Amino acid sequence: MKKYLKIIWNGISPSNPVLILAIGLCSVIAVTNSVKNALLMSFAFSFVLIASEIIISALRKAIPNEIRVPIFVVVIATFTTIAALLARAYFSSIYEAIKLYILLVVVNCIIIGRAEAFAYKNPVIDSLFDGIGMSIGYSWVILAIAAVRELFGNGTIAGLQVFPSAYKPALVMILPPAGFLVIGVLVGWLETTLKKKEAKK
Amino acid sequence: MNKIMKLTLVLGLIGAISGGTLAGVYKFTAPVIKAQDAKELQAGLSEVFPGNYEFKKLEIKLKSPDPAIQIGDVYTVKSGKNVIGAILKVSSPGDQAPIVMLVGINKDGRISGVKILQSLETPGLGANASNPHYYVNKAKKITFLDQFKNKKVTDPFVPKKDVIAITGATITSTAVSKGVKIAGEVAYSYFKKGGGS
Repeated sequence: MKKYLKIIWNGISPSNPVLILAIGLCSVIAVTNSVKNALLMSFAFSFVLIASEIIISALRKAIPNEIRVPIFVVVIATFTTIAALLARAYFSSIYEAIKLYILLVVVNCIIIGRAEAFAYKNPVIDSLFDGIGMSIGYSWVILAIAAVRELFGNGTIAGLQVFPSAYKPALVMILPPAGFLVIGVLVGWLETTLKKKEAKK
Repeated sequence: MNKIMKLTLVLGLIGAISGGTLAGVYKFTAPVIKAQDAKELQAGLSEVFPGNYEFKKLEIKLKSPDPAIQIGDVYTVKSGKNVIGAILKVSSPGDQAPIVMLVGINKDGRISGVKILQSLETPGLGANASNPHYYVNKAKKITFLDQFKNKKVTDPFVPKKDVIAITGATITSTAVSKGVKIAGEVAYSYFKKGGGS
């Protein structure tokens, strides 16, 4: 059990896909201008990542080494399309706003990276936990970024007014550059915390 | 040769399973998506033409006098048996992508309402065009789109003249105004020629 917790923790902090591995940043910048967008993206991303890791891990002995990447892409594309169809059917207004980025989950480097680096080499249960850990790691980061950007850029969190309406929103926060700013601050914070921990050891 | 056959077979098999799964999911979600679209369209139509009217899609194509602005679906608005107006779907080039909107026009040549269906304007600036809490007239709580209500299609529709522009978003303001004006003119001349009656 300890092993699985370690795999999950690995995705949340020491190998956080956004802050430490720093991959798949394009869609992170795009969907974090509001908490609702980030939330739907987290669901879509987690679903595709976990499902793909399980299937790829289960098939890893049957997948010939030469064509593993095309197979990864087919599996990931299938789950992405399922996620897009479900989002379109049940969350149509948010889907309209970020559909491009949901569809682009297909080529999200985090997912194909985890398929290649983890699921293809590890048993199903481990891959399931890796998927969960990476999904939590991805989701908490994009939700945190989105909360900060929406709060300062629009005075709201998830559409609820937080700052009094007299607050004049800092427009830059919901424009793409602020995505990099907030990510940068988070990366700095996580790196220093991890380094301090190591120094203590 | 044998190896290539095997690789092809494996990839083909996985592709087939994937295709089958997707067909199943599609079949399951298609009716929900269709119902959702119909509901949204109905809601959109009643928003630009408030009141309890019947909307009917016309199988005609209306030509836009401006090549940059395209006119899509045309709906007539009926109160009982009388046609009292029309709703046009127009697309006008915005800042980054076309702004697609529904424009309702009364038979007497007044705009009844405007709704933006799709747009990709800058958040915080041009995107305020469809923001229900962004007022161009704060005292009267008039949003950017509200100001087109009851406007005559023969008006100039020029931002900073007879249209209050969105702060910092001249391109968006102009694009929307132009689209509304063209839709209004086209529908009005259609009525004048006896269409829809």
